Amino acid sequence: MRRTPIVILGTVAGLVGVLSFHTAPAHLTLGVLPPASAPRSSPTTSVVAGSPPGPGSHGANSPPTSTSPTTSKSTPATTPATTPATTPATTPATTIPTASRSANGAEVNYNYGILSVSVTVTGAKITKVGIASLDDGGNFRSQSIDQQSIPVLEQQALQAQSANIQGVSGASYTSAGFSQSLQAALTQLGFS
Amino acid sequence: MTSVLRGAGEAAERPQAIHHLEHVMGTVVTIDVYTDAGTPGAEVYRNLARARAILQRADTVFSTWKVNSPISRLRRGEITCEQAPPEVAEVLEQCETAREMSCGWFDPWAMPGGVDPTGYVKGWAAQRALSALASTEIRGAIVNAAGDIASIGGPEFAKPFRIGIVDPSSPGHLACVVELPGAIATSGTYERGHHLIDPHSGQPTARVASASVSGADLGLADALATAVAVAGEEALALVEGFYGYEALNIAFDGTWRWTANFPFASTSS
Repeated sequence: MRRTPIVILGTVAGLVGVLSFHTAPAHLTLGVLPPASAPRSSPTTSVVAGSPPGPGSHGANSPPTSTSPTTSKSTPATTPATTPATTPATTPATTIPTASRSANGAEVNYNYGILSVSVTVTGAKITKVGIASLDDGGNFRSQSIDQQSIPVLEQQALQAQSANIQGVSGASYTSAGFSQSLQAALTQLGFS
Repeated sequence: MTSVLRGAGEAAERPQAIHHLEHVMGTVVTIDVYTDAGTPGAEVYRNLARARAILQRADTVFSTWKVNSPISRLRRGEITCEQAPPEVAEVLEQCETAREMSCGWFDPWAMPGGVDPTGYVKGWAAQRALSALASTEIRGAIVNAAGDIASIGGPEFAKPFRIGIVDPSSPGHLACVVELPGAIATSGTYERGHHLIDPHSGQPTARVASASVSGADLGLADALATAVAVAGEEALALVEGFYGYEALNIAFDGTWRWTANFPFASTSS
C-alpha cells in the first residue's frame, strides 16, 4: 500500500493546475536580506541592507531594516560571533543523487549519557535528523524521557529568555554531542 | 503528564494559563490553555482531557515504533488501508495532497521502509487536539508539538500569541518573533561545513538552515516548511501562492527571505 486511492487524483490535478500559476517569480514580493557581512551578493532582486529583523523590527508589511536580533530584548547582545556570516557557504557536491539515504552516526558522549544521531539525506541536503540511540545508564524509562525532553528543554530555555512570548518554534537538536554524531553519520553517506 | 495552573499568584498582568505536558509521539507536546482570572470551569479540564486523548490516539494508530500499531502493520502489508482505522486513510489522503501542494518536496512515500506519515501526523494531531480545546470559557490555547505550533485566540482578548523562532546559526537565541495567525511550523536542514569548528569539541560541525511556515492548518504548514527548508527559494514562491500561508527562510549563509505578509511581530506588543 504505497498510494492513497485514485479518487483524490482529480483534486491533485486541480491543484497542480493552480500551482502552475504561482511558480513564476514575477508574482513574488519576497523580502530579502543578505547576511550581515557575507562575501557573496544575493542573486535576488530586492535587497535590504542591514541585519535580519528582530522582535523589535517593523511590522509585516514593511521590510525590516536595521534592527539586529542581537539588540532585541529577547536576545542577549553578547551573542557569540558565529562563523556562518563570515564564511562562504559550502557548495554541494556536483553530482547529486536524488534518492533518500540514511545512516546512523557514531555514539558520542553528551551531558547526560551517550547518544547516536540518525540522518536522512536527499540529494545533497539533509532532510531528517533524529536520535538513533540514547543511553543514560540503562534505565529505559528515563532514557525515553530524556530523548523526548531534549527539544522541550531547549524551547523552554529560549522561552525563559524572552518575557513576552508564549512559545518557541524551531528545529532543535543542537548540542555539541549531537553535531559530532551527525558528522559521523554524514561521513558514512559520503558527504565530505 | 503534569498540569500546572499558573498565573493567579504571579505578576498581575500575566495571563492565567493551564500548562500541560504530554509525553506522546516520541516527543513532548505542551498544551497551554489561557483563561480568565479565577478558577477555570470543569469544561476546560474536560476539553483538556479530550485533547490529550486525541494525541494519544494518534500515537496508538500512527507510531512506527510500535510493532503492532495499524501504521506498522500497513507498512508490512499485513492490513490494507481499508482495514486500518479510518484516520489512516484520512491522513494518507492529506499527505498525498500536501505532497502535491509542495511539488513533491514533502513526500512521506520517499521514506525508507515504506510510507511514513510521521512527519505529517504530529502537526495533524496537534491541530485536532487544538480543536477539542475550543470553548467560550477560554481566551486562547496553544498546542506545541516540539516546535510545531497550532493555536486559537490569544493570551488575552484581542491579542495574538507571540512565538519566537529559533536562530539556526545561534541555537540558544531567537531569530525573530511572530504574531501567530493560527499555526506555525519550523523545519531545519543541516549542511556540513569543514570550515566551521565547534569551539567546545574542536570538531568540524554542521550548521542548520531553517524554514518557518505560518497559516491556518498545522499539518499543511509543516509540510510546506519541509519543502522550503529543502528547496529554498523555489518553495518560498510556492508558499506565496497559497492564500493565508507565509514563509520565512533563513539560509545557510545567513540570508533571510520571506513572503510578503510573513507575520513578524511589530515593535509594540
